[in-house]
Amino acid sequence: MSDEIAYATIRELGTRYRRRELSPVEVTRALLARIEKVDTALRAFVTLTTDRALAEARAAEEALRRGDTRPLLGIPVAHKDIYLTRGVRTTAGSALLADFIPDEDATCVRRWQEAGTVFLGKLMTHEFAFGIQRPGHRFPPARNPWNLDHIPGGSSSGSGAALAAGLVVGATGSDTGGSIRGPAAFCGIVGLKPTYGRVSRAGVLTLSWTLDHTGPMARTVEDCAYLLQAMAGHDPADPASSRAPVDDYLAPLGHDVRGLRIGVPRAYFFEGIDPEVERAFEEALETLRGLGAQVRDVEVPSFGATPSFLLIMMAEAFAYHERDIRQHPELYGDVLRERILTGALVTAAEYVQAQRLRAEICRETAEVLRQVDILATPTTTKPATPFTLAQDPEFGFPRSNMPPFNVTGLPTLALPCGFTASGLPLSLQLSGRPFEEGTVLRVGHAFERATTWHTRRPPV
Amino acid sequence: MGNEEDRELTLEELRARIRVAGVTIAENRLAMVRKLLSDALAPVRALASRPRTTVEPAVTFSPRREARDE
Repeated sequence: MSDEIAYATIRELGTRYRRRELSPVEVTRALLARIEKVDTALRAFVTLTTDRALAEARAAEEALRRGDTRPLLGIPVAHKDIYLTRGVRTTAGSALLADFIPDEDATCVRRWQEAGTVFLGKLMTHEFAFGIQRPGHRFPPARNPWNLDHIPGGSSSGSGAALAAGLVVGATGSDTGGSIRGPAAFCGIVGLKPTYGRVSRAGVLTLSWTLDHTGPMARTVEDCAYLLQAMAGHDPADPASSRAPVDDYLAPLGHDVRGLRIGVPRAYFFEGIDPEVERAFEEALETLRGLGAQVRDVEVPSFGATPSFLLIMMAEAFAYHERDIRQHPELYGDVLRERILTGALVTAAEYVQAQRLRAEICRETAEVLRQVDILATPTTTKPATPFTLAQDPEFGFPRSNMPPFNVTGLPTLALPCGFTASGLPLSLQLSGRPFEEGTVLRVGHAFERATTWHTRRPPV
Repeated sequence: MGNEEDRELTLEELRARIRVAGVTIAENRLAMVRKLLSDALAPVRALASRPRTTVEPAVTFSPRREARDE
């Protein structure tokens, strides 16, 4: 199978389907064959739904013959294995749910289904989206297609790996402290954490109610826009779901960024930064300046309080898992068990204080976003971590550039902006005002069109 | 608040919390747990609570309300 098909965009596939140059069945068969060939080493997939995928591809082919114009018709996708899928095992990468077969679909799964996508299977996740699996775990972790000795990021690890390796066209992810953007950064793909409340979390296993976000992952900004369009919108089944109208996310793409104000909050985001990451980020800013954006430094001092988000995340995770982890601690992996149990040690007063700090961070960020339209930062301060380090019992919870935007709930895009000398991807993070996904996508798209980082392919 | 922010979580304090919570954490993991919790607690311990009485917890979180004057 040619790279041309494996790495085709949604627009390219739709055009070729409608010209009868290619069919959803051909593409689905080709991707299934590619998965069989490369996924033994990558382990991006937990479960393949081959028969269902081919049946859906045939149905898409029929619909195309009838003139169906849905943009996602016949587009092969897969779901992170914390999204419930009716009749299809949903493991959360955990021994606890190893044989769990839900009797309902997550809202996002249903919406992509209704949009005509082809469901290829379920993608590996860090255990319950919070703990990387150590050797000996029932579900071995996914690997990074750019270098199998490195992690693909987490927790949407399979989504990042599968997209980078050309195994799917789109994937779902979830993001509580960076789990969409981290794998996007480490795998050289595009991930969008939408505004809190923009995309439903109903039917997605919870890590932390007030920090969890769901969103799309893809290889281009435009593909992310297509996928977001099909999943955004109010859902009464998610108590946090917003009733804000859904914008047209494709419409802003192609518009220039001249005059757009981009703020760079350097404090916090540059602590311990790798020189190659810093250089790639500064070059990205130059590119944006060259496109006509006004780039300047801004200050959000309260971002320094971001590490307190862990108190919220761990306390809420313990509340969610308390009964199971007390009754069946042996069914939790070492990393996850330790993090969840640490949540039991957070006092009520500390949880409240962390939420007060959060309010302060939100207030300050909102002030700055009255002066600029976008915040630009490096998505991560380092390239993908080697497994030898990530699985070391003495490797702590890493400091991260991504949680400030879970704390504030702002729409945030991660997209490729370079590579290290050793060939690992680097990433630019763009955040906007609440529910202004369109602006974030517009800037990301302009940057992507001015660069070629997203066209590089890993050696799989 | 005094020098509360400078006060590190001690191992004794950690053990007391573990007892109260009724959970089990292996002795050889206490240093890692202490580091994890201490890092997360640092900004909270640095928070001068009383002068900032108008800052209320974001327990019902809405980015729109937080970020916009509505």
